[in-house]
Amino acid sequence: MTFQNKELQRYSRHLVLPEIGLEGQEKLKNAKVLVVGAGGLGAPVLLYLAAAGIGKIGIVDFDRVEESNLQRQVLFQTKDIGRLKATVSSEKIQALNPYIQTAVFNIPLSVENAADIFEGYDLVVDGTDNFPTRYLVNDACVLLNKVNIYGSIFRFEGQVSVFNYLRNDGSRGPNYRDIFPEPPPPGQVPNCAEGGVLGMLPGIIGSMQANEAIKVITGAGTPLDGKLFLFDALSMESMIVKIPIPKVRKTITKLEILDEYCMNPVENNFTDLITVSQYKNMKDQGIDHQLIDVRESWEHTLSNIGGLSIPQHQIFNSLENIKKDKDVIVYCRSGKRSGDIVTALRQKGFKNLYSLKGGILAWADEIDQTLTKY
Amino acid sequence: MATIKFTSNLNRFYPALKPIEFNGKTINEALERANTQFPGIKEYIVDEQGVLRQHVNIFINNEMIQDRNNLGDPIEDLREIYIMQAISGG
Repeated sequence: MTFQNKELQRYSRHLVLPEIGLEGQEKLKNAKVLVVGAGGLGAPVLLYLAAAGIGKIGIVDFDRVEESNLQRQVLFQTKDIGRLKATVSSEKIQALNPYIQTAVFNIPLSVENAADIFEGYDLVVDGTDNFPTRYLVNDACVLLNKVNIYGSIFRFEGQVSVFNYLRNDGSRGPNYRDIFPEPPPPGQVPNCAEGGVLGMLPGIIGSMQANEAIKVITGAGTPLDGKLFLFDALSMESMIVKIPIPKVRKTITKLEILDEYCMNPVENNFTDLITVSQYKNMKDQGIDHQLIDVRESWEHTLSNIGGLSIPQHQIFNSLENIKKDKDVIVYCRSGKRSGDIVTALRQKGFKNLYSLKGGILAWADEIDQTLTKY
Repeated sequence: MATIKFTSNLNRFYPALKPIEFNGKTINEALERANTQFPGIKEYIVDEQGVLRQHVNIFINNEMIQDRNNLGDPIEDLREIYIMQAISGG
């Protein structure tokens, strides 16, 4: 492995670190890292790995840049809206460091393609934004003996760990399923589109993932093997909890399709649901009902289908405003929050509540195309 | 006396959620105590059979609990119990 003079200049701040030095920089140049998800976490991960001189970086993401990404996905610019994230990311990091190679996978990671894609890489960085893909990345890493640099964010909280780490004795460290054996049931944990995420948070957590990746590749320091780092941006409190390999652990023997399991959040509570066409019919027939929007007030202002605005965090203090003598239709953006609220309130005795399936996104798709989607 | 702390993710349902003091011997008793102060919170943590939900975990002084089924891990004085859950955003 030889470096051009320009590369030696570029990496000089690493070369003077005894923990990295020329030997470590060579390891970085020889490394092949796959980054799954070029979003909030992927942006700092890709930028720092590219800047650090990782020889080959693969990027998996089938999504396109949207306006609502730009609050945190700092790899993209306004002019990139509508373009494929993986392609744009590749261009950006190639411009940052022309001495690296990139590979672009503009496809969703799946049970069918995961092994083929992972095979060419030493290490995988998980920057995905949903549970099915997280479990898929985890399980594929275990089955293919790849280290998984895990990061996850929601609202103000972040988590980082190094899963399936190859230890000196040849054994592998714990993986994601040793902490959370199965994904949450439908509707239990909202995604960032529903619950929100602080724009700076992926910058912090993604940078830590890049740091762990560099440590694993060079051997510098102690990686987060057998440990989970937890961070709260509001309190600035952090903690590292220990993750042992449980005595009874979920065995991973093959890749499972989880999409049906947790991508349709309120599918199985069908008796609590009303579809947008059913609700339209109800309105058209003049059936007396109450409509409640449980999104935040700014969301109601941005786009709504009418009704009383009671943000979800105020709902339990506003029970007197919920009618008991007629059907109450509860809605949100996608149906997740309203599903949560209806489930919780039904347990409190409100049996007349129904969640609008698919929320105003479904209303915009099927009933009123002029409604603003966000 | 031990302290029970929660992931701030649960604040969306319990805006007043804060660490609580606790005198008891097991995780199960800790959850009962939490449920007294924040009615219904136990349902987010355990299922109908009282087993820890698969996407939730509990740590005692940063050590992961062992008994997910019966929540019988012992709690000694001055310990900190942290209840957290999986998050998926990226």
